[in-house]
Amino acid sequence: MPISNAAFVRSTIILLMAGMISLLGIVGTSLWLVSKVQVYFAELIEVREVRSSAADLLSTLKDAETGQRGFVITGEANFRKPYDDALKAVAERQKSLEEKAARFPRYAERIPDIRRLVSEKLVELAETVEAVTQGNSSEAVAQVKTDRGRIIMDELRTQLGDIMSDADRHLQEGVIDTLWSAGALQWTTVIGAIAIIGVLGGAAIIVAQYTRDIVVARREVETLNATLEKRVDERTEELIRANQEVQRFAYIVTHDLRAPLVNIMGFTSELQASLGSIQGYVLADEKPPSADDILEARRAASEDLPEAIGFIRSSTKKMDGLINAILKISRDGRRELKIERVDIKALVEAGAAAVNHQVGESDGEIAIDDKLPTVISDRLSLEQVFGNLFDNAIKYQSPDRPLRVSVKARNAGRAGFTIEFTDNGRGIAPEDHERVFELFRRSGTQDKPGEGIGLAHVRSLMRNLGGDIVVRSELGQGTTFVLRLPSDLSKVVRSMQA
Amino acid sequence: MNGLGKEVTIVMIEDDEGHARLIEKNIRRAGVHNEVVPFTNGTEALDFVLGADRSGLASAGRFLLILLDLNLPDMSGIDILQKIKTNTHTKRLPVVILTTTDDEREIQRCYDLGANVYITKPVEYESFAHAIRQLGLFFSVIQIPETQ
Repeated sequence: MPISNAAFVRSTIILLMAGMISLLGIVGTSLWLVSKVQVYFAELIEVREVRSSAADLLSTLKDAETGQRGFVITGEANFRKPYDDALKAVAERQKSLEEKAARFPRYAERIPDIRRLVSEKLVELAETVEAVTQGNSSEAVAQVKTDRGRIIMDELRTQLGDIMSDADRHLQEGVIDTLWSAGALQWTTVIGAIAIIGVLGGAAIIVAQYTRDIVVARREVETLNATLEKRVDERTEELIRANQEVQRFAYIVTHDLRAPLVNIMGFTSELQASLGSIQGYVLADEKPPSADDILEARRAASEDLPEAIGFIRSSTKKMDGLINAILKISRDGRRELKIERVDIKALVEAGAAAVNHQVGESDGEIAIDDKLPTVISDRLSLEQVFGNLFDNAIKYQSPDRPLRVSVKARNAGRAGFTIEFTDNGRGIAPEDHERVFELFRRSGTQDKPGEGIGLAHVRSLMRNLGGDIVVRSELGQGTTFVLRLPSDLSKVVRSMQA
Repeated sequence: MNGLGKEVTIVMIEDDEGHARLIEKNIRRAGVHNEVVPFTNGTEALDFVLGADRSGLASAGRFLLILLDLNLPDMSGIDILQKIKTNTHTKRLPVVILTTTDDEREIQRCYDLGANVYITKPVEYESFAHAIRQLGLFFSVIQIPETQ
């Protein structure tokens, strides 16, 4: 199936669009997934920082409590060192947590509570440590025993622990999200690759098909070109032939019309000259005409005048005949052909029947091949063609043998049919083989009546039917007219119009 | 016109009897009184000049001048010219082509085949009569060879 140009362009554009859209989709999805991963990652880092800050603060506060407990129990200064160290770090740790948690509202809302708890815890720690420092250990122990410090610490542990567990949960979710994004990115790439391969494959198939079609089309054009040249040659040959025929026709017509014209003009002048001598006699009123004048006038009246008038009359008649013959041929050439199925066999048999009587007179015989074809052509033209050929066969039969006519046909393939019309008549000399088809020209002894129109007419009829007629003949042996007839005239007419 | 003191016969091959009559009239007016044998077709003319067997022996010892029209009903004047000029017996016969054709190639072809004179018949009678009378004057002075 050949792809039309528009379809090719359309499908190519659709494929390119599909390819472009899938590429854009892949790139967009990839970019989106990558940026999502980045966002997840940054959030993860921040969450991690919040968590570690919370853990740091808790552990620092635990350190401070441990130092406090040790100092309260022992009262020794070196047990107080962890407390002092933690005390120094607490503010920094607390600040770090606050900064990091500020980015997350769910953590930030817990900050005021934490701040309050941390300062309460620090106050509690500072009170006990101060009491021990002033030697009032029992007071410090009582303070511890109130359980205020433990309660505050528990609350702190809960608060910070919540932050840490929430962060842990978020971290876990973030990892899952990141993993999912990576997976999605992978699938997007795979699907994109498949789409691109699909588009490329489709494009390749279309291009291949189109290329194949182009090659096929080019081959067709080449064949057409080759036959075109042949057809142009054939047409040119036909044209040249037709042109030569027209020239030949014009030449014959002008020549043949000129001949009687010369007569008419010549004998008119002769008539005038004769009239002079008659006038010399008849109009000689004053002096009597001489004997010579009388003789001349008598001869003019008795011989010259009738002769001149006779030639003028016969020449005008001849001109009239010629003009009528030309008119007949030209009318036949212009006649609308009636294209129909024509059974050549029946047609030839009818033609033979028309001359049956004349053939029978000389013991003649007409053999008609059973295989004569049926063609699509103009019946009237073919009737005239075979009618003329039968007439000629009878007219120019050899006097010393009975007439034998045979009509045979064979299929000539593309050229149509070849019909051979053979007689055993007197034949045509080789130099006259073309001449017999010329208008007003005849061959051999002029012992039969005729104007030299028949075969010229037949040829013009055959050519009108897209065929032709040629002759093969040997003088004294017989003649074969070879007719070429296309099997379907309507095709010929169509190709002429094309 | 004579040939070694013998009367020359003019063979006029002209299918149009009117033309033949006009030609004869004007030749006579030029003072040519030789016998004119007219033929209206090529077959009969060749029968006379070359004989029925076309050997040319029929013309042996004759003094002929041939006036030939190119357009004849049964054969072309060119064929007659060729037959006469290729026959050993008649090849020296003077042949005057007198025709309505003025086609240059036709004229050349006739001279190539050995025509001696080529004259185109004028349509206008004054010129026609003048041309034929000139031809008649020419006839009265030329020498004709004897056919062998």
